[in-house]
Amino acid sequence: MPSLGEFEQLVLFAVLRLGDDASGVAIHDEIEARTGRDVSPGAIYTTLGRLEERGLVKSSVTEAESGRVGRPRKVYTMRPAGARVLRDAYVGLQALAGSGALAKLQDLAKGSGR
Amino acid sequence: MTRLRRLAARMVRGPQADLVRADLEELYARDRARGIPRARAHVRFVRRLLASTISIASDRWSRPRVPRFGWLDIKLAFRLLRRNAGISLVAGLALAIGIPVCLAPIHLTLALNPRLPYPHPHEIVGVDYINADSDNDVPLTMYDVARVRREVTSFATFGAARRLRENLAGADGVIDVRSGAEVTASAFDIPRVPPLLGRALISADEDAAAAPVVVIGYDIWQSQFHGAQEVLSKSLRVGATRRAIVGVMPKGFEFPHRGDFWIPIQVTLDVPPAAGPRYAGFARLRDGASRASATAEFDAWRRRVAAEHPAQYAKLRGEITEFAFVTTNLRPSFGRVYVVYVASFLLLGLACANVGTLMLARAASRRSEMAVRTALGASRARIVLQLFTEALVLSALAAAIGLGAAEIALRQLTIVQLFEASLPPWFTLRLSAFSIAAAAGLVLFSAVIAGLLPALKATGKRTALALQRGRAGGATFGWTTSLLIVVEVATAVVCLAGVGAVAKGAFRAPSLGATTAAAENLVTELYLPPETRTGTPADLPKRIERMQREAERRLLAEPGVRVVSFASHLPGMRHLQRRIEVEGRELPRGAEFVWMAFIDRAFLDALGQRVLAGRNFEPQDAVAKGRPVLVNRSFVDWQLGGAPALGTRVRLARASDETSDPWHEIIGIVDDLGMNVIDPANAAGIYNVIVPGQLHPAQLLVRVAGDPEAFVPRLRGILSEIEPAVVLDQPVRLDRVFSEDLWEARFSALAFTFVAIAAVVLSAAALYALMAFAVTQRTREIAIRSALGARPLNIIRIVIARALVQLVAGVALGAAIGAALVPEILGGMSLAQNWMTVLAAVSAAMCAIGLLACAAPTQRALRVQPVQALKESL
Repeated sequence: MPSLGEFEQLVLFAVLRLGDDASGVAIHDEIEARTGRDVSPGAIYTTLGRLEERGLVKSSVTEAESGRVGRPRKVYTMRPAGARVLRDAYVGLQALAGSGALAKLQDLAKGSGR
Repeated sequence: MTRLRRLAARMVRGPQADLVRADLEELYARDRARGIPRARAHVRFVRRLLASTISIASDRWSRPRVPRFGWLDIKLAFRLLRRNAGISLVAGLALAIGIPVCLAPIHLTLALNPRLPYPHPHEIVGVDYINADSDNDVPLTMYDVARVRREVTSFATFGAARRLRENLAGADGVIDVRSGAEVTASAFDIPRVPPLLGRALISADEDAAAAPVVVIGYDIWQSQFHGAQEVLSKSLRVGATRRAIVGVMPKGFEFPHRGDFWIPIQVTLDVPPAAGPRYAGFARLRDGASRASATAEFDAWRRRVAAEHPAQYAKLRGEITEFAFVTTNLRPSFGRVYVVYVASFLLLGLACANVGTLMLARAASRRSEMAVRTALGASRARIVLQLFTEALVLSALAAAIGLGAAEIALRQLTIVQLFEASLPPWFTLRLSAFSIAAAAGLVLFSAVIAGLLPALKATGKRTALALQRGRAGGATFGWTTSLLIVVEVATAVVCLAGVGAVAKGAFRAPSLGATTAAAENLVTELYLPPETRTGTPADLPKRIERMQREAERRLLAEPGVRVVSFASHLPGMRHLQRRIEVEGRELPRGAEFVWMAFIDRAFLDALGQRVLAGRNFEPQDAVAKGRPVLVNRSFVDWQLGGAPALGTRVRLARASDETSDPWHEIIGIVDDLGMNVIDPANAAGIYNVIVPGQLHPAQLLVRVAGDPEAFVPRLRGILSEIEPAVVLDQPVRLDRVFSEDLWEARFSALAFTFVAIAAVVLSAAALYALMAFAVTQRTREIAIRSALGARPLNIIRIVIARALVQLVAGVALGAAIGAALVPEILGGMSLAQNWMTVLAAVSAAMCAIGLLACAAPTQRALRVQPVQALKESL
């Protein structure tokens, strides 16, 4: 199973957090809120399309919420395969970073460490 | 917003476009709701839109655009080819002819420039002149050889060689005629192959005062000396000179020409420039020298020589070229090669266009299958890939079969073996890895033309639209297809007519006319190699006369020898053809050309013949002014129209400004004696008289009691005693003489047959495809017509009309071209006399073949059931 790119990981984490409500706009908002990045809908949908082809997520179309005027939305949910791949990527990253990586990085970023 | 929306609609494309556009709008609305000023919200929208467009585009480019190709495609292709076995067979046959024909010139070019089997082959080059006026090669002379090797510094080693064919006689005196070479000692340093025994030639051997030596090849070592180690203490007579054997080369070593003995050239500057025998020059380039730098130096040297001898060298240009060109004399002229390449590609293109037409016709009959596959989600690329795979499998199979057949033919055909035997040993027409790679390229090319283009046409928008609307239509046959069919039918007629014209004579045993004693005659050519001709040119006839008179005397003294005769041409050989005049008689058109031979007075006796009327030559005839002649029976019938021949005078026709030939009186009539092996009906000829010494080389006939071939060793022994240098090449029985005419006729008949088969197959296939396509396209129309009561004849007319027009146009064009061109092309050979009948028969046969090709689709049209057809098309 090929590894995940950085943006693919972001999108998958957003899908994970959003649960059953992972539409394109929701994913955009989630990424923007957590990382401060204003990602384009085009990038989100092409990434989701690719993840879907690889069997990591699945999509379904939901009707507009009752009482609200709106368009039907396409929402994405994570498949077990997606969960496994994301888990492996996350565990790998954590193992590599080790404990205290964040503190070290912050120190380095501030310019205090050499 | 409207403008932004329009911009987004224009920029965002693809399957997710709607979702992306909707999200862009939603994000914009939210920005505005959050109080972001309009202008900024606009900027944010445009930034997201641009980023989205780039993401979508890069995603599209990063995906493989051709659908994945798998074994399933190949399996499916095989299945479909099997299901349509008829079409597959015809298409495969067309490609099995087209691909090898197209490969032939490429293969020949590769065969001419092989990698030589010696160390650092790229350093080995040919050294040659080109005549600036005629663009022909001019090999080197002794003067060049002597100076180049001293003065040109680009060569590490420079060598020169001249081909020889000589009598060899070992210690036991058995004579063997072999090819070999006269070479500079340096020639052995170029291939760098060490001798098996002894040494190669060394420069001391080139000295005029040195003892004559020879290096022999493995074959001679085995055949003449039975592989004995003490061969180095023995000698070998080469021509008239006995030479000490100094070395034996290993098995298979043949350099620079085919041959297996090498004698040294006595290189000397003591010769006039640009005169004397010619030598193939070759060299190994010095380290650091390139072909271009060596050419520059060699040509600069040539200019210096030209300053000294302008008359001989001014028009020449020095060139360093392929080693193969100087040793084979087969320098491809690039203009001509280009034409052959283009022509062969066109032929393959023609074959592919036909196969493409067939594929298109078949694709049309598979419209509903394609519609179903499209409905099930197959993309156009997927369907195109499938059709392309079919064409690829078909052309690969066809190429394998065609090349396999070609390989077998190359192994079996004597004519190829004879051709190869005249070229260096490293030249072979067998298929090489390069040729197979080139064939793979042609397979791909064929699959693109015959598969990809029709597939694109068959799945194009027009077809899709037609399918949606439930109509027949889409791909159609245009005027190019019609033209193609007309051209193919015409080519088939011309080639079939060509086959008809030459086949009659070509495929039967050569006619020796009324010759009765052919099996009792041993024949051979007597020839003195140029290097053995010493003295002035005027001495040669005397020497030859002495040799021939002595040979006649000695041979007639042998037990069993009944007649000895000399002639220029023998029955079954290609004779001279000359234009003549008959005194007081206007010759009918075509009758002014007759065959001619020079014979002595024993000739008729050797062939077991007598004059039918008049008398044979007498000794005084050879010295009489205006020597009398004999004519044959066909001459009397054809040129003289049966009029009395004896006493009539004939002479060679000359242009008005030339001195005319004296008149020759006809003194006797003989039977037809094989002057035209191909067409005995066209054998009118004249015999002139000669005496010994007047002919060189001459054909020697020895009529022997018993088996003539058993007399060969004795014949060789006697002649080598009289003249050790004389070469007797392959003495055979007269009825086994190799006839160039017959080979040429067989070769052209084969070539014509080959092209004719290709053209017949192609045109029949094209007509079949056209008809099959027409029936498929017009099924609905035919159904309606037959529902409305159309008679079968009317339906046949609808279906067949276009094909019939093309067939008739093609046959008419072919007959016209055939009538005008074939007699011209085959001018050298005599045509069948009922040539026009042949042409008419061929035209009728082609019409029949064309109609036969139309038969199956027409039958299908007649079987169309109105209800069924209408149901399908609704």
